[in-house]
Amino acid sequence: MSQKKADQGTNLLYKLIGEARGYDDVIVMGRGDPDFDTPPHIVAAAKEAMIHHHADYTPPAGLPALREAIAERVKRVNNIDVDPATEVVVTNGGQEALFLMVLATVGPGDEMIVPEPNYNTYADSLDFAGATKIEVQTWPQEDFRADPALVRAAVTDRTRALLLVSPNNPCASVISPGDMRAMLDIAIERDLMILSDEIYDLFVYDDFVHTSPASLPGGKERTLTLNALSKSYSMTGWRLGWITGPADLMARVTELKAAATGGASVISQYAGIAALTGPQEPVEMMAAAYQRRRRLVLDALDEMGMKYGLPQGGQFVFADIAFTGLDSAEVAQRMLTEQHVLAYPGSAFSKDRKDYLRMTFLQPEDKLIEGLERMKVAMQGIVADGS
Amino acid sequence: MSSATKAFMLNWHIANRALNTPLPPQTARHRADFSADEIAGPLDERIIAAASEAMEAGQTHYVDVPGIGPLREALADYLNGACGSAFGSGNIIVTAGVQEARFLTIQKIGEMFDSIGVPEVAHPGVQKALGVRRRNVVSLPADGARGYLPTIDGIAAAVTDGCRLLYLESPSRLSGAAYSADEVAAISQIVNEHEAAVIWDQGLSVWIDGAYNSLTAHESTPTRVAALSDGWPGMGLSSWFLGAIAAPEEWMPSMQSQKQIMAICTATATQFAALEAGQIYNESHAERLAQLARQREGLLQAAAAANLEVVAGGALNIIALRAGASGEAALDKLRESGADGGDFGAPDTIRLTVSNSTATALG
Repeated sequence: MSQKKADQGTNLLYKLIGEARGYDDVIVMGRGDPDFDTPPHIVAAAKEAMIHHHADYTPPAGLPALREAIAERVKRVNNIDVDPATEVVVTNGGQEALFLMVLATVGPGDEMIVPEPNYNTYADSLDFAGATKIEVQTWPQEDFRADPALVRAAVTDRTRALLLVSPNNPCASVISPGDMRAMLDIAIERDLMILSDEIYDLFVYDDFVHTSPASLPGGKERTLTLNALSKSYSMTGWRLGWITGPADLMARVTELKAAATGGASVISQYAGIAALTGPQEPVEMMAAAYQRRRRLVLDALDEMGMKYGLPQGGQFVFADIAFTGLDSAEVAQRMLTEQHVLAYPGSAFSKDRKDYLRMTFLQPEDKLIEGLERMKVAMQGIVADGS
Repeated sequence: MSSATKAFMLNWHIANRALNTPLPPQTARHRADFSADEIAGPLDERIIAAASEAMEAGQTHYVDVPGIGPLREALADYLNGACGSAFGSGNIIVTAGVQEARFLTIQKIGEMFDSIGVPEVAHPGVQKALGVRRRNVVSLPADGARGYLPTIDGIAAAVTDGCRLLYLESPSRLSGAAYSADEVAAISQIVNEHEAAVIWDQGLSVWIDGAYNSLTAHESTPTRVAALSDGWPGMGLSSWFLGAIAAPEEWMPSMQSQKQIMAICTATATQFAALEAGQIYNESHAERLAQLARQREGLLQAAAAANLEVVAGGALNIIALRAGASGEAALDKLRESGADGGDFGAPDTIRLTVSNSTATALG
């Protein structure tokens, strides 16, 4: 028997997370896990559900009440009309949604166009499906804009789908309304499905605007849209997300969901109902905090003379560390070992991004300031060693 | 919209019979539904308190991919105590229900082998997991007189013919029948002789009244067996989706990596609830078994009165019925309220959850 080699990017991140756990004073600027706890009214709803609904039957597609709340949310926030009975599937977080979307749209020999860099798990899921990732590169000098002309040029006869992550992870770019329309036009012209990952849609900065391709004319029938409560409501541990899309494709997504995990925890689902239908002030508070922290991080990077693409949304900065002369995995390792600061190496997201680090701003401001100070010391040490 | 791409995708999925196999529900859909593995009981206040305390203490974030450490330790202890195995916490992955455990093992352990032997009659979740990404499947013939367990001869033939990975249920998810000590020893011998491996679903073993014979307990096989379990059945957590895989350490990295890829981790509150459930499990399990035994006895009498044939079983939580000589009408009546054996591979059989009110469905 032979063991298939597990994914290197994912394992690299988990190796770093494991080491970070061993430092009492570690400052985590790597994992996309908000420092805020889940808002109390959501926790209270979960406790209530434990008493009254602990044994409720949960169909693979999710509790009807949660699907209705999701349908209302995607109408309100994303301007997408969906039928909660047939066009919504609840998932174990955005991660499962991502996996199922990929399995629903591509198979062995198919191609999916993916603007790069991108969240590492998409490559893993495509690999699982036997499909090929066709990379379209983006660059910091253009704030990591995904260029529709490059996407169009990458389409082949084997291309089945186009992945759009906006705001993007790890580079925090937001696809403009005009570019989104152009992407959809390409999809229509070349008969592609669109996979739209909108998990950071509530965190868009300055004057940038989030656009859902499914909200555009001609978009809904060929788009699967992913979202989750993890980032927006600080509910990463609850594992609750969803996919919306046209009923015929969603029927297939439901079967895949049943095959992979069967259902989502009933308690998480009741918590999700409370999150979506309850007070939204906690989300606004978190968004305001991220806006402040983003400025703080960018100022520190400017002071260090580091280049980056302007984070237009999301919870990250993807910064160029080519000046260190080292591979990002080595830089991340040294930052962790020497200064107990965890950032993610760009090489975990794309083989071509060994010169980048992904940093989150998911720490309280005082910790973030200290983390950036330590990072500065680490960088100075790395540069001094290389000179 | 007319989309050839979409039509292609849909046709592939619609033609995929394995993927489209219906699953029985995790818990009853309504009061007259007896198609689930168990009737969910009340939730102990201590479980509610433990989960609440964890959430209020900020346990609302990601946790380790394979599960929180104390729960993995508790699951290892529980399996070792109940099944005579020797797993450590490093051998455990906490999963989002037993279906995720099926999926991870079938897909990732399956990658290491050219084919997988699957019982002719098994939980429909097995076919569903296989349908996501097809593998070479060898059907293991079932013995209707032995509760649809695959025959030892059939297992031996499949392995001798080159199939080196087996998926086996004991107890059967349809009938509750479990392999005897001699049969388990025979399977162990076959597996070792041919350097084969086994995914062993022992999720219903807790419902066996008396000694349970687990393949994981055989000294010669621990490096060749991955065991699947539900997390403390009967404790009211079936809608929380908690399962576990116990497997040799060398098999863990690829399954952990896949777990990360498809879910990151299992819901944190569920894990803390399960941890408490494990601690109080033994307080009431014997009483639960005794109650089920009484209820099952009543069901056996009702089945006989309705001219239904009881399939050989063993686990007390379920009962599988066939029409018998003149019980066609009675069996048809049960199709709405029981799990359809056709979805398991035995079309003439209905499975019912054992409970106080199941006899009503038979009457």
